[in-house]
Amino acid sequence: MIDPLSLTFAALADPTRRAILARLALGETSVTELAEPFDMSLPAISKHLKVLEHAGLISRGREAQWRPCRIAPVSFKEVDGWLRGFRRFWDENFNRLDDYLEELKANEAAKAVLRTKGNIKRKIRVKEKQRGRKSG
Amino acid sequence: MDVKVDKALKITTPSDLEIAMTRMFDAPRHLVFDAMTQPQHVGRWFGCDAFTLLICEIDLRVGGGYRFVMRTPDGSESTLQGVYREIVRPERVVFVEQILMPGFTSPEYQVTSTFDEIGGGTRLTTTILHKSKQDRDGHLNSGIENGVAPAYDRLAEVVAAMA
Repeated sequence: MIDPLSLTFAALADPTRRAILARLALGETSVTELAEPFDMSLPAISKHLKVLEHAGLISRGREAQWRPCRIAPVSFKEVDGWLRGFRRFWDENFNRLDDYLEELKANEAAKAVLRTKGNIKRKIRVKEKQRGRKSG
Repeated sequence: MDVKVDKALKITTPSDLEIAMTRMFDAPRHLVFDAMTQPQHVGRWFGCDAFTLLICEIDLRVGGGYRFVMRTPDGSESTLQGVYREIVRPERVVFVEQILMPGFTSPEYQVTSTFDEIGGGTRLTTTILHKSKQDRDGHLNSGIENGVAPAYDRLAEVVAAMA
């Protein structure tokens, strides 16, 4: 017997199935509606849905004839992939932004030093001129 | 800044329609604002290990647009695009945004980012406002592609431990 986690990972390994899940994350829908954006036949989509259902990643309603597909969030706790992705994306980005801000701060500090040095030189030049005028 | 800044990212859902993120940065707010709104800066940090930033265009004017095109781990391209509604440098920026993936276009949502200077550092507060709860939940769950990666990493560890 295959363990449930292997089934889950096998189901997630396919990009079309991940796209189906991303769509279902927005709300339940019918197979026809689900198939629309994909360049694929209905039977092909149905096959993918069966794999997802077998892996416990989605469930399909029995109440209506159109059997709405919906996500089964419980399974995602097992793979820990849910919601955490959103956080991970921003965490990674903001950590990189931290490093980049250090670079920007260093640049700004360097510019400030140059400006101060420039000002000092200018002051010295002015003083020298004044002195020159006085002595001349 | 002398005091150590708590840089933990906080994510909350203040209402059925919103996602809020807060994050402290150890830099004055004009730098944080510029780093997040100017293309020559954004290209230096935005993206992640899994996503490569291919195109980064920003027209920072009210009514101006922006477009970030990213290559995802499976080789397809995802686009984040929007239009600026309000720009008050370095305090606040508001824009409407959309995510485009092959075969899927997300509903539009509004993003408001405020930059507060606190003790020489900056607190960034980003609020994402959706038109429906369903849209909001979909956005929160949109990390699915990305979230699978760490799960795979851990799976590899588990398998290695078993061998």
